[in-house]
Amino acid sequence: MSQQNRSTTNLLRGTLAIGAVGVVAAFLKAGPERFWANWLLWFVLLFTVGVGSLFIVALEHLVNAKWSVPIRRIPERIATLLIPVVPIGLLAIGALPVLFPGTRPEALHNKILAGKAFWLSLPFVSVRTVIVLALLILGLVVLVGGSLKQDQTKDPAFNIRARKFAPAFMAIFALAITLVAFDWISGLTPEWYSDIFGVYLFAGAFLGGLAATSLAVLHLKDQDRLEGVRKDHLYNLGGFLFAFTVFWSYIGFAQYMLMWYANLPDEVIYFQTRLTGGWHVVTVMLAFLHFVMPFFALVTRDAKGDGSRLRRVAYLMLAAHILDIYWLIFPILPGGPHFSWPEASFALLFLSGAILWVRGALQKGEDMPVGDPFLKEGLEFRL
Amino acid sequence: MSSDAAIRTGAIPERLLEPPLTEGVVTPGSLDDQVLAFPDRRPPKQWYIGLAITLTALVIGFGFIGYTIATGIGVWGNNSPVFWAFDIINFVFWVGIGHAGTLISAILFLFRKRWRNAIARFAEAMTIFAVMCAGIFPLIHVGRPWLAFWLFPYPNQRGVWTNFRSPLLWDVFAVSTYFSVSLMFWFLGLVPDIASMRDRTTSKVRKTIYTVLSLGWRGAASHWQHYEKAYLLLAGLATGLVLSVHSVVSFDFATSVVPGWHMTIFPPYFVAGAIFAGFSMVVIVLVVVRETMQLKNLITMRHLDVMNKVILGMSCLMGYSYMMEGFTAWYSMNEYLHHTFMNIISGTYGWAGWLTISCNIFIPQLLWFKKCRTSYFWMIFVALAVTVGMWFERFVIIVISLHQDYLPSAWRIYKPTMVDFGVLLGSFGLFFTLVLLFARVLPVIATTEVKAILPGAQPSHHGDDHE
Amino acid sequence: MSSGKSFAVLGLFDTPDALMGAIPQVGAKKLGALEAYTPYPLHGIDDALERRRSPLGGMVLVMGILGAITAFGFEYWISAIDYPIVTGGKAPSSWEAFVPIMFEVTVLFATFTAGLGMLLLLNKLPFFGHPVLSSDAIKAITRDRFALAIESEGEGFDTEAAKAALLAAGATQIEVLPEPDRGPFLTSDYILRVAGGIFAACVVAGLAMYGAVKLFPVLPPMSHMEDQPRLNAQKADPFFKDGFGMRMPVAGTVARGYLPLGVASQDEAASLVNPLPSSPQVLAAGKKIFHNRCELCHGALGNGVPTLTAAYGAKPANLQAQQFRDYPDGKIFWVITMGKNAMPSHAADLTETQRWEVVHYVRALQRAQNATDEDVKEAGAR
Repeated sequence: MSQQNRSTTNLLRGTLAIGAVGVVAAFLKAGPERFWANWLLWFVLLFTVGVGSLFIVALEHLVNAKWSVPIRRIPERIATLLIPVVPIGLLAIGALPVLFPGTRPEALHNKILAGKAFWLSLPFVSVRTVIVLALLILGLVVLVGGSLKQDQTKDPAFNIRARKFAPAFMAIFALAITLVAFDWISGLTPEWYSDIFGVYLFAGAFLGGLAATSLAVLHLKDQDRLEGVRKDHLYNLGGFLFAFTVFWSYIGFAQYMLMWYANLPDEVIYFQTRLTGGWHVVTVMLAFLHFVMPFFALVTRDAKGDGSRLRRVAYLMLAAHILDIYWLIFPILPGGPHFSWPEASFALLFLSGAILWVRGALQKGEDMPVGDPFLKEGLEFRL
Repeated sequence: MSSDAAIRTGAIPERLLEPPLTEGVVTPGSLDDQVLAFPDRRPPKQWYIGLAITLTALVIGFGFIGYTIATGIGVWGNNSPVFWAFDIINFVFWVGIGHAGTLISAILFLFRKRWRNAIARFAEAMTIFAVMCAGIFPLIHVGRPWLAFWLFPYPNQRGVWTNFRSPLLWDVFAVSTYFSVSLMFWFLGLVPDIASMRDRTTSKVRKTIYTVLSLGWRGAASHWQHYEKAYLLLAGLATGLVLSVHSVVSFDFATSVVPGWHMTIFPPYFVAGAIFAGFSMVVIVLVVVRETMQLKNLITMRHLDVMNKVILGMSCLMGYSYMMEGFTAWYSMNEYLHHTFMNIISGTYGWAGWLTISCNIFIPQLLWFKKCRTSYFWMIFVALAVTVGMWFERFVIIVISLHQDYLPSAWRIYKPTMVDFGVLLGSFGLFFTLVLLFARVLPVIATTEVKAILPGAQPSHHGDDHE
Repeated sequence: MSSGKSFAVLGLFDTPDALMGAIPQVGAKKLGALEAYTPYPLHGIDDALERRRSPLGGMVLVMGILGAITAFGFEYWISAIDYPIVTGGKAPSSWEAFVPIMFEVTVLFATFTAGLGMLLLLNKLPFFGHPVLSSDAIKAITRDRFALAIESEGEGFDTEAAKAALLAAGATQIEVLPEPDRGPFLTSDYILRVAGGIFAACVVAGLAMYGAVKLFPVLPPMSHMEDQPRLNAQKADPFFKDGFGMRMPVAGTVARGYLPLGVASQDEAASLVNPLPSSPQVLAAGKKIFHNRCELCHGALGNGVPTLTAAYGAKPANLQAQQFRDYPDGKIFWVITMGKNAMPSHAADLTETQRWEVVHYVRALQRAQNATDEDVKEAGAR
């Protein structure tokens, strides 16, 4: 490992430690709602980035994409974030009685919640979460484990197995993202519902995975690894980032506009909270950072393939994704948008942890799936 | 780290290879001879028989439309509370079918999927014809179609404007934009092909027509440069349209408060359904085309196989949407939504609900099997089931939600009349008449685009083109 | 030796590689501008011919943004400024509803710029006079051959040198092309001018119509329709000294359908006589009105035991009391008409006939509650 790498790792370990101290302090001092809202935020964030990356891998197998084979190892490595997500998610069960009205005994007396109290109850939510995480780990083992093994065996049977498994993974993914969206995010306001919510979280997750992948690809290219990955490949990454920025905005706007239009009291309350006071500013920021800026940054053909612009936009997209999850979860806390030492500590802890994890994962083994029979074709890809 | 030595070398196993996009020896010249010869030849007897059938349907349909306009909407089955029925079902049905063409033309172009080249022309033509069929219904369902121009915001002597807050007006803009853009995209693609026809035809009349239509295209590299750029931009813009147009159509329902209509998942659900229905129609038409026009070497079984995979994928997306709707009907704890959902699976029209689910979800699962994806019988069976299923899905959404909503005193059973069926038949007649005419007069395969992906078509220092 | 009459020399090649190889060879000799003709676009040929990038992307972006602004601005102006109407309870300026159409118009502007801009502006098509179109080579060009042309850039074009250069680079066929034919009128310029004219005409017509509708009515004498010299309801008017447009009725004016009672107090009302007979129909009508209007306060038996007034603290009269049994009909009629103490006037609700019917019923109630043996004998006798 180079000197620069070592010093970055040490820096990250330092921020991780500072963050950990802050998080413990938050647990003791910041009050259970604040603590668990932060925990939930980072659980959902790491989950979406991990599952989004795994979705990228599965999608590549599903459509027999060749251009992406040289860079497929990167989302495979990022998807391993799902491994630490398991304990983080299991610990997040602590948030359920604190933040989720459906888990509380009062729910049984609430006209709307009584009928679905069993669905919203802590045991059932936990069971669903465990099942979802287990299925995702299965997907990780088949797709990522198999790909890593193929580096040694060079056996094309993996490609066939992956192509067969990809549709099954898509079903697992659909279940996972929908359940997490409903159980862990819209469950904060269980009287409200939106059936596009799973799709909305999917859009964010896919973008999160793409942004993380792009950043990692560019990072490796800076170190002269990933030889053969050219502007043509970057252009495709940029194209997907652009297209799915538009897709996320379309889903987000459609959801908002439909609820605004019908103006039903039990639906509009969700947006009312987010359009008054301090949250109004956050909402406008979200639209700006998650749609306007990336759209205009990537709209031209040149911009999509330009490494430095792609890097900046990828950072922006990850920040916007974090803001999106924050915007979904934090309005449950009274008193306007909170951002101070608890939020900063959690950010330091989990961001450092995630970056350290992914960096560590990228150091192991091959940078490309060297056993894949289509690697050569992927490297020869030209626009 | 990766080293060249570690990269796997050697041949790719047979199982992972995709079959070629063209069968046999195909050269640019043979392509022209095969595809561009049709407009110069007399069509076979089957074409005339087919045209007779479609024209009959068309005339019957337009007769019924004339009757409707002369007498009034009362001759349809629409009545309180089911104010929208066959008219809007057919509109959404046909707009949806159009979307497959744009997806194949535009979205697959952006993904650089070469298999789209042989089928893009026909698919785009089908889009335009489908949108034309769709446009009839909003026009005739307004009761006073001769005043339909009031839908456009022009300065008028009454000093009034249109209501921009209405989804029905968004529809007007969306569908007319979609039609214009599709027409432009299709025409631009045709220009080089018509130029080829211009240069090989022996008839003076045809040569003049083709000369004018091809705008004097001469294949100049400087022109190709701008042309390619325009095509790429149009593909990107048309992609946005595919999403937005059927989303705007879904807004007709989702912005209301009718139980079962006000679901946020409607926009992507409708788009997925549109692609689903459209691809099925494309599969049916392409099977007929490749057989009757001897184009099996250009529209290969690989094309049909991959389209059937898309149909299967869309069926799964539809399954997700149906499950979300069902889940939400329960999760919402809303008695009206729950009642509507129960109507779908067990009410008076419950048979339509089950027909929809069977045709859209269960039957297409046959396409998991390669045997079904590559067999004419099974793929047409599935495609027809999907066409029927998607028509009935709109029936379920519209009629079931409307016939029993909030006020029990307004609950009524809806019965379509013969005029409703006649107009629906007429729309199919119009669509297939246009398809037959198109196949007779214009090149059904984008010869220019296919030429560009044949083996050896591109200069070698940019790499051989692979499938 | 040069021939000033020829426009270009064209050489045909059999394969894309042959063409691509020929371009740098011929280009190096700098004999004129190079143009290639191919049946389909070749990758990399733009760089080989050293062409500048197509400006179409920028044009489309600009026009798309213009479309978005135009659409949103137009929608906003119409819905919030020119003729604001509240629909669906939404504010006239609600931006959310304007987005779908804004998006569609953006795509429309961008698409037409891409398609028509490419054809008319950048490629200058349609153009039917180019010499390649009438050459022998065109049949091969649109079928399966690739051509390279050296075009003259003005005086001093060396046709023979051009021919030689193309042959040396591997051309299988050479053709000399004459000047373009500017004859055919249908060109891109013509279309642009016609389209521009139609567009301008539409804009003018639209503005004229708008002006006519909006400005015309406020110009005199059309404005006289709006400002008429007449009295309008509930508006001030300088015609009268006190400035009121609406005038009070003259003192002593009697409302239509109103006949004065002719008595000024309850005592005077004693002289009024009940014009209705005490028939079963009258009593039934009186009973119905009593049940609807009187029973609430005076009780079903008229004895002042009410259903409602306990809550109000008022004490309605006990109509069975001697005082009221002694009342002449006219005094009861007066009380119903004018009200008394806490009881409001029922003159607005009941016609005179109805009031007399109630009087009959009250009398019947009083008789029923205070019946004597003679009353029973009378009933039995009937």
